[in-house]
Amino acid sequence: MKTLLAVLMAWVLTGPARAATQADAEAAVTAAAQIESQAEPGNRWVPAEAALKAARSALIGEDWDTAAAQAATARALALRSVEQSKEQQTAWHDAAIR
Amino acid sequence: MSIRRTAPWLIAVAAVCLLGGAAPEPAATPEADQKAFQAYFKDRFPQVPFADFANGPYAVNAPMRKQWEDIMQFPPYDFALDEGKTAFETPFANGKSYADCFANKGIGVRQTFPYFDTKTGEVVTLDLAINQCRTANGEKPLPYQTGMMASITAYMAETSRDKPFDIKIPDDPRATAAYEDGKKFFYARRGQLNFSCASCHAGAAGQRMRGDILAPALGILASFPIYRSDWGSMGTIDRRFTSCSLQMRAAPLPPQDVQYRDLEYFLSYMSNGVPISGPGTRP
Repeated sequence: MKTLLAVLMAWVLTGPARAATQADAEAAVTAAAQIESQAEPGNRWVPAEAALKAARSALIGEDWDTAAAQAATARALALRSVEQSKEQQTAWHDAAIR
Repeated sequence: MSIRRTAPWLIAVAAVCLLGGAAPEPAATPEADQKAFQAYFKDRFPQVPFADFANGPYAVNAPMRKQWEDIMQFPPYDFALDEGKTAFETPFANGKSYADCFANKGIGVRQTFPYFDTKTGEVVTLDLAINQCRTANGEKPLPYQTGMMASITAYMAETSRDKPFDIKIPDDPRATAAYEDGKKFFYARRGQLNFSCASCHAGAAGQRMRGDILAPALGILASFPIYRSDWGSMGTIDRRFTSCSLQMRAAPLPPQDVQYRDLEYFLSYMSNGVPISGPGTRP
């Protein structure tokens, strides 16, 4: 019994992560795109757009794991770009030559 | 002195500080901005004559200037000048030409662009005016970043050489708003590298960014369009704004986007008095 439990625990701890489903991947891409659209034009980041594009391509190719992973990257980058946009609404004044 | 006696004084002083500190700083006028902007670069580069800011990085780096002077024995933009002159003088299908669309028949007018059009409420760049001229005469607009647009603006700039930038901000709140929009674009950080235009062309002007010497923002548009060795071809201001954005890992805006035109308006107004030196050449 102990051996069986140990093998089970080892499998749970070291086994592969759960594969993304189509629904997971589509939800991740939608969420990333929604955040990306919040950044003002001119403040969007090239790597965020590239990751989102790669995620969409992976969706078309039915590679749900890649789509979810790229969408997560796009989401993280897009979040930072939105933060930057908001911060710079006022922060630019400090940099102005006066 | 007891705390009880001190407290009212402390409260009064604190109130004055708080109220005074909370008052918003009055917005700088474009004229005050221009004065401060030009003074900043004059202080940073006291050895550079004012008019020489038209030459960008060559004004602030002697070895680079020597190389440029050698290159200028055979300017790489010459072919574009010839092409632009021919196109400028060739009538449209309806018999009219570019000369019919501009003051002074388009000769020696580069220094007045961009201007604020009080009818449309927008900034009009030279490139936009060229395409407006084309479409008004039944011709297709030209692509904005390179090719014939660069050649025609090269010719028009060449006829305006040594004429100082003379950009006006009319007494119109929309013009002031366009100026402020351009100013914000210049100073706001963007892209994954978190750079602003000012990061390179004000704070780090004259310093190296890898192999390049960063041009001071004062007069930075005076030499456009430019032949850039990095591109291996001519490029307009739109092309440079696009490549600058990409270098900061910021998604570029479409050519002649309102924000790019407003940025050009701000930078050109800041450079009033700097002579046109275009077309130019850059590494």
